[in-house]
Amino acid sequence: MEGSSLAPSLKNIAPQQEYLLQGSILDAHRDTLLHRLRGLCDNAESSFEMFNDYEAVYTLRNSSTTQQNDPFLFRVRRALDHPDAADHIRYLGNAEIGLGDRRPTLVRACLDVACSKNVREFLTEMGFRMDHDYVARGVFFHKGRMKVMVYKIYKLIQPGITDAKNLEQLGNSHVVELSVVAPLGQEQIGEDMKNFADQLKPLVLLEKLDHKNL
Amino acid sequence: MAAPSVNVCVEAALENPIQEVKYDGQEVYVAPLTMSENLSKLAHKINFFKDESEEKGKPTSEGERETDEEKVLAPFQPSLWPWDSVRNKLKSALTEISVLYDVLSIVKEKHYMVTDPVSQDAPELKAPLQMIAKKKSLVSVCQILNTGADRLKRVQAEMDSNTQDNFLWELLQLRKNWRLKKVHNTILGELSYKSAGSRFWQGGTFEVLKTSDLAAEGDVTNKKSSLDVSIPSELEGVAYIQVEVKSVPDLIDLTSATLKMPASLGAVSADAYWQQKLETAHNVLFCKELFAQLAREAVQIKGSTPHLVVGNQILTNVFPGFQLSIVLCHYTGKEKKVNLSPTKPEHNHVLEHSLHQLLRKVHDNNLNTSPPHPVNSMLGMTKRRRLAGPQAMSRQELVQMTHSESILEQIVKQTRHAVLRIRSMNVIDQLAITMQDPQICAHWSCLNNSLESSVRLTITSYCFEANRTPLILIIGIDNIRVILREGGTCVLSFEENELRDFLQWQICQHHAQSVQTLAKLHGWQVLSAIVSSGHGDIETYGTTSTVMLASPKGNVILAFHSSPVNGSKLSVKKVDTSLESNISPAVTAAKWASLAGEFKEVNLSQLEGRNLTGKIDMLMARLTVLS
Repeated sequence: MEGSSLAPSLKNIAPQQEYLLQGSILDAHRDTLLHRLRGLCDNAESSFEMFNDYEAVYTLRNSSTTQQNDPFLFRVRRALDHPDAADHIRYLGNAEIGLGDRRPTLVRACLDVACSKNVREFLTEMGFRMDHDYVARGVFFHKGRMKVMVYKIYKLIQPGITDAKNLEQLGNSHVVELSVVAPLGQEQIGEDMKNFADQLKPLVLLEKLDHKNL
Repeated sequence: MAAPSVNVCVEAALENPIQEVKYDGQEVYVAPLTMSENLSKLAHKINFFKDESEEKGKPTSEGERETDEEKVLAPFQPSLWPWDSVRNKLKSALTEISVLYDVLSIVKEKHYMVTDPVSQDAPELKAPLQMIAKKKSLVSVCQILNTGADRLKRVQAEMDSNTQDNFLWELLQLRKNWRLKKVHNTILGELSYKSAGSRFWQGGTFEVLKTSDLAAEGDVTNKKSSLDVSIPSELEGVAYIQVEVKSVPDLIDLTSATLKMPASLGAVSADAYWQQKLETAHNVLFCKELFAQLAREAVQIKGSTPHLVVGNQILTNVFPGFQLSIVLCHYTGKEKKVNLSPTKPEHNHVLEHSLHQLLRKVHDNNLNTSPPHPVNSMLGMTKRRRLAGPQAMSRQELVQMTHSESILEQIVKQTRHAVLRIRSMNVIDQLAITMQDPQICAHWSCLNNSLESSVRLTITSYCFEANRTPLILIIGIDNIRVILREGGTCVLSFEENELRDFLQWQICQHHAQSVQTLAKLHGWQVLSAIVSSGHGDIETYGTTSTVMLASPKGNVILAFHSSPVNGSKLSVKKVDTSLESNISPAVTAAKWASLAGEFKEVNLSQLEGRNLTGKIDMLMARLTVLS
């Protein structure tokens, strides 16, 4: 089951695409950005929505195929501050990025499913291996159907344990993400996202990043 | 008719005079003068002599002599050099000027010649003329000063009211309350509720204007602010939603509803402050959206009772005989005055406020979706919906989750509850006023909401409050739940007669209970106490409670019947044990001997006592003594 061969069948099941713009901001200027976002997004009068998520990435390597550098990734995410919320499995396809791509945002196929708590054992039994994990903690905004997240990535010294003692900051900056999940073929979303990103211009530069170049 | 154009050629006429005409007809012209000859001819024409004699009077004679010489010389030498006369005249002029120069230099030295001003007599002054002259000058001075002062005043007034700074200050205040954006050269603002979650099609855009641009030149108007707004035409005027609950006893059908025009409100004046204008327009938009939503729901949703939408009015039956009418009243100030209807409609402010709140709640739900935890999940789902997958909810549960109530349904429920509550209140109060014997005390609970209220009733007899009958009524949307004294519950419908009957029945039971309590006080024995006794005629509602008491000595039996329809009855039977002949061994005491027998009814109205319990109390006391 390769990632590329799964993509066409994915489009038949649930044609959801994620439009993504990413950027980063230094810790020192995070508060300015948060205030600006609070003014731009919905629910300006309520306080910040914090989130604290633990994400583990499981991969399935196919020894039967020759392509070893394209493993199949599942991202399993759990909310640490809301233990009664369901876990989520997320599959993200490869982004179509390159010289011919004129869209302002990164577009990739996205499948997001809620599942019960025993998903990790299930995946391990199926043959997935945990590749890496991290904790993301930050603030969440939304405007219409756009999600804006400003979060900080923490590395786990020992994988699996999410106590505060086990966490280590990764870098001195926060990641800023702007994403919309929508069905195929709506180009207007990209334009709207670009306009929104322009309003944050001097503080943070949101752009589409080619993940293969990282 | 225009004549064909004629060519006209212009050439200089021959000016040279003809000297002679030869015999062969040829004309010989006088040769034209050369330049120098022409100049000398013109120079001859200059009269130098004449200028000299006008300037100074002294060398006149000299000049005359000179001209005489000139004239003498001239006939003798006519063909002399033509500039001669000119030269002579210039020479004499030089002489004159040098003499004048000498005189002036002598005067300057002040040795030989001194100049003195010639004193002149001062002209005679006439006082009235002088005063008039002074007055005129003063008047002109005053006018100049006045114009200057006016200009300054005007500038000052302008500075106070209509300056650029003031406009900017007002703009800042406007910006604090409303969303503004600049499009080309105009400033536009947003009146709609879109940022608060509304999805209404009609949006309102207002334009911000400067009043200083509109005022005429030099016209210092006393405006309150230098900023003005122009509202779109469909949002002008004042609007509100009128909610009325009226009872139409004979009109069950809605087709004969009459449209009453309520009293007209004043339209917003053009001079009003911009905040007031904007708020009024904002309200108009909100009322329009609310009414559009209600009308849409009234047409689409198929409820148990039909709703009628007529123009700007929605009518619906809440109970048989009670009608709820919701009217959108929008006054732009341009309609002609309508004669006010004689009955002023009663506007229910509470329900109007509820309607506003319901629409705001809808807006809020559009906007405030619970945030996804973890943040990867989809926006816009409730928490339950997110858990639906992992918890394997059935289809029925999912369908139930999506079901939500419309605004119209909610307001109808609230109206029903309000009507029911008012009616129950009336029934209880009526009963409490008319019924003196047991006192009914009602405590309405402060903690209630728009769909449920509760009241605690206590039935007591005056002076005998040891026996109290408590009742708790929970008034819902269209039924009343009652919690009885013993803890049992029963449900009453919305009919008010049912409540009245029920309360009467409870009162009867209270009487019976108080008689039982009296027995305890007096030491009488309760032979039987039945809440719903079976003998007697069947009443239309309620049941008869009966109590039978025996005196301590056993010779007086009291039978008390209390029925909600027929009232209370008391009968006494006196037993003479000595007369009793056949006593079976089962009868252990004398009081059991004669349970049956003749009962004599007591006229309760003539007994002494404040209330029924008191009367029976008095009677029992008497009977105890007597026996």
